[in-house]
Amino acid sequence: MQNSVPVSDDLHHQPATKRAPRSRKAAGRALVLLASLGFLLVVFIQVLHTTGTISAGFSDWRPILIAYLVWAVAFGVGQVLTRGERGQRALFLLPAVFFTVAVVIFPTIFGIYIASLDWNLSSIEGPRFSGFDNLKGMLNDTYYWNALGNMVFYTVAVLGEYAIAFGLALLLSAEIRARKFFRVVFLLPMMLSPVAVSWMIGKSLLEYRFGPAATLARYLGWDNPAFFASPWMARLSIQAMDAWVSIPFIMIILLAGLQAMPKEVQEAAKVDGANGWQSFWHVTFPIMLPVSITVLIIRIIFKLKLADIVINVTAGGPGGATDTVSSFIYRVYRDRSNVGYGTALAMVYLLLIIVLLTLMLRLSKRWTQKVE
Amino acid sequence: MQPNRRTVLKGAASAAALGTSGALGTFSELALAQANLRAQITQIPGVGKGAPTDADWQKVGELCLGPTKASIKEGEFKGVELSFMGLNNQNLHNLLFRGFLKPWEAYTGAKISWIDLAQADYNPRLQQAIATGTVDFDILEMGAPFEGDVCGKGLASEMPDWVKKQIDIDDYVDYLKPPVGTWNGKTYRVTIDGDCHNFNYRTDVFSDPALAKAWKDAGNASEWGVPKTWQQVQAVTKFLKGKKIKNQNAFGYLDAPKPWGGFGFYFLGSRASAYAKHPDDKAWLFDIDTMKPRINNPAWVRAIQDVIDALPFEPADQLNADPNTTGFQQFLAGIGSMIPWWGDIGQVAKASDTSVIGDIVGFDILPGSDDVYNSKTGQWDKLASGPNHAPNCAYLGWGVYVMARVNGDEKKHKAAWSAAAHLGGKDLSLWMVMYPSGFQAHRASHFQYDEWVAAGYDKKYITSYLNSQLASYNHPNRAVEPRIPGIFQYYSIAEDELTKIFAGKVDAQTGANNIAAAWEKLTDQIGRERQIGLYKASLGV
Repeated sequence: MQNSVPVSDDLHHQPATKRAPRSRKAAGRALVLLASLGFLLVVFIQVLHTTGTISAGFSDWRPILIAYLVWAVAFGVGQVLTRGERGQRALFLLPAVFFTVAVVIFPTIFGIYIASLDWNLSSIEGPRFSGFDNLKGMLNDTYYWNALGNMVFYTVAVLGEYAIAFGLALLLSAEIRARKFFRVVFLLPMMLSPVAVSWMIGKSLLEYRFGPAATLARYLGWDNPAFFASPWMARLSIQAMDAWVSIPFIMIILLAGLQAMPKEVQEAAKVDGANGWQSFWHVTFPIMLPVSITVLIIRIIFKLKLADIVINVTAGGPGGATDTVSSFIYRVYRDRSNVGYGTALAMVYLLLIIVLLTLMLRLSKRWTQKVE
Repeated sequence: MQPNRRTVLKGAASAAALGTSGALGTFSELALAQANLRAQITQIPGVGKGAPTDADWQKVGELCLGPTKASIKEGEFKGVELSFMGLNNQNLHNLLFRGFLKPWEAYTGAKISWIDLAQADYNPRLQQAIATGTVDFDILEMGAPFEGDVCGKGLASEMPDWVKKQIDIDDYVDYLKPPVGTWNGKTYRVTIDGDCHNFNYRTDVFSDPALAKAWKDAGNASEWGVPKTWQQVQAVTKFLKGKKIKNQNAFGYLDAPKPWGGFGFYFLGSRASAYAKHPDDKAWLFDIDTMKPRINNPAWVRAIQDVIDALPFEPADQLNADPNTTGFQQFLAGIGSMIPWWGDIGQVAKASDTSVIGDIVGFDILPGSDDVYNSKTGQWDKLASGPNHAPNCAYLGWGVYVMARVNGDEKKHKAAWSAAAHLGGKDLSLWMVMYPSGFQAHRASHFQYDEWVAAGYDKKYITSYLNSQLASYNHPNRAVEPRIPGIFQYYSIAEDELTKIFAGKVDAQTGANNIAAAWEKLTDQIGRERQIGLYKASLGV
C-alpha cells in the first residue's frame, strides 16, 4: 500500500478571493452607473428623435450600437473594480454575454420597435409610430390565420416523417446486404438544397404535362394528375417534398442512437421470449425516446421555418392551401414592402415558437420520466 | 402626330431624293451609312438562323459604337467603375447588356459590375434600396411605373442634352413620350422597351376546317375564326376543350393565375380593360378624385368571373401557371391557342430555338367587349362604334436610368450616361426589338417593316406583329399604366386575393371587395392626397 502524499495541483488551485478596497468598489459602481445612464440617455434621445418629438438625434441607429459597446467596456472595467479578482473571472464570460446581447437581445428589442411602426417602403413619410395597430391587423388577417392553420398540418406531419425515418434507421442498423451503400443513398436528399429540390421534384418530377410522376399516374388511370391544383393534393405534395429532404436527417440521428444502444438489452429481451414487435415497443422505443424527442424538436423547429419549397413551387397556392407563416411573411416583406407589419408577424411567430417549444420540452421531460 | 408607316416611308423617300440630288451630300452619306449599319446588325445572326448568342450581342455592341466614339475619347473613362442593376429574365436583359457593353467598356476603359435580379425579386430589391437609402447601383434598368418611387424621391440623375441628341429621343412613339420618362418636367429615362399587351393566337387552330365544322355542328351561328371580343374568347375556350389539333389536345385561352411578383396582375388587367375602360373616362383602376378602387366594380368582377369560368376548360394544372409558364412553356411549346403577352412572344416565336410555333402565330390588339361599364352612370353601355377595345399599355416599358449618386463625380456621371446612351441607341434598339431580348418596339423608326423583312421575318407575320403593337400604342382608348408609388404593392395584394378566388375559396365579388379594402388601406398608408395627384398626372388629367 502506498502512502498518500499531498500533491500540489496548480491547475485546479483556487486562490482565496481578494476583496477590492472600498474606494475601488465605489469607483467601479460609479463607472457602471454613469455608463448605463449614458447608454439609456442615447437610446432615449434616439427614440424621441425617431418619433419626431425632438429634432436632435442620429440619422440611423448605429450610434446606439457604439454606445452599447462603450457601456459594455465600462461595465467590464466596473466589474473588475467592484469585485476584484471575482470580477476578473467574470470578464471571461462577458464577451459571450455581450455577443448574445448584440446579436439576440438588441435585434429583438429593435424588432419589437419596428413592429410598432406603420412602415411601407413606398410611403414618402417613411416609418410612423402606430402602437399595436400591426397586431390588431394580424388578428383580422385571414392570410395569417390560414398560414398558421397550414402549419398545424405541416407540424403534425413530422410524426409521419419520424415513423418512416425510424423504420429506415432500424433497417439500416440491421445486418442487411450493402448496408453502407444504402446508408449513403438514403442520405443523399439531405445534401440537396430545398430550392434544388423544388425544381427537381416540384417543377420536373411532378410537372403536370411532362413529369415522369404525372406520366405514371396517367398510366395508372389518373386522368389529370395535377399535383398542385387541388388544395389537399398540393399540401400533401409540398409535405412529401419537404419530408424527402428531411427524413434522412431524422434517420441519421436515430441510427446513431440505435448504434449506441447496448446490445445486451435486446439480447435479454430475446432470451425472455419477446418477439420482434415486443422487443421494439418495450425495449428499443423507450430507450430511444430521449434521442427521438431531441430529433423531433429539432425537426419541428426546421419545419416551422418551411418556406423555400412553397415559395418556389406554389407561391402559397392554390388559394393559400400550401402557404406557411414564413412564406406569407416573406410576401408581406417582399411583395408588399410592408416592413412594420412583416416584422410584427415575425415577432409574434417567434413568440409562438418559443412558447410551443417550451411546452414541448416540459411535456417530453414528464413523458421520459414516466417511461423511465 | 404619331409617325406611321406612311409618314416614315415618306420621310425616307424625301431624304433619298435630297441625297441623290446632291443637295445634302454629307447628310445622305450619313443616312446611307446608318442604313447600312442597320442592315448589317439585323443580319446578326439573321432570323431563322438560331437564337442569338453572347458573341452576337458583342458584335452588335461593337458595330453600334459609332455615337459613343463621336463624343467620347478612347480610354476616357479609365478607372471608372459602375454598378448596373437589372433583370436576368429568360437569360436576357442584363445578359444582353453585358454583351452590348463589353465593346463599350473596352473602348472607354470603364468597368461595369452587375446586379442581376429575377422578375419577382425586382420590386422588393428596388423598394428596399430606396427606403433604406442604400442605392448601391449607378445605372438602373427600371420600368416607368417605378418613376414615382425613384424620380419622385430625387434618386435619379437628369438626362444631359448630349444624351438626348445621341439617342434621338424624339424618335420614341408618342405614348412613351413625356410625361413617361420625366418627373417635374425633367427627363430621366433612356427608353429601351415599349410594353403593351397584344393578343397572340394560333393561326392553324383558327383556320382548321375540322374545327370549323365542329364549331358549326355545335350550333354556333358565327364563323369559326380568331375571336375579336372576350365573349368570343370565352366561347372558343369552352368549345375547344376535348378537341384535338394535330393529334394533340386543343386548348383555348391560357390564364396565368399564379402570382408573379405583381406582374401577373397585368394579365387580369388585359381581360378587364375592355370591360372597365370607358372611352369617356381616362381612369379604369381608381376613381381619379378619390383613389377609390374600381377593382370591385361590375367590370372587374366580370373579368375575374371570366377567369373562374374559363379555368375548367384550360389545362388541368393551370392554377399553377404564371405568365412565364403561359408564354414560354405553354404557348410557344404548342399548348393553348390564345394568350395576351408583351411583344416577346412575337420575337421568340420566330427567332429563338425554344419555339415550335414560329410559322403559325398571328397577332392583334387585345379583344374588345360588346359592352363597357360606365363608372359614372353605373350602367353597361353598348357603343355605336361597335365593341369597346382598350389595349392594356401594361408597364410602359423598361428604361435605363442613371442614379443621382454619380452627380458629384463628373467623369463617372458622363460614363454612366454614355453607357445608358449606348444601350438606348437608335440602331442598337432596332436589333433589340427584332430578336429575343425582353424588349418590344418603342420607336417610330422600329416600324419600318422592310427592315424586318430584310432580316428574315415573313412579311405577313411581321405586319401582323407590328400592327398589333402600333394599333395598341395609338389606340384612343388605351388603358394607361398608373405611375404612382407602390403600384406593385397594389398588384401583389390583388394577386394574393385572386389566388383565393381562382381556387374557389371566395366568390369573385367578395374577393374583389377584399382587394378594394386592402387597396384603400394601402393608399392611406402611402399617402392618399399625394397618390391622387400622381395618378392624375400619370393619366394626363
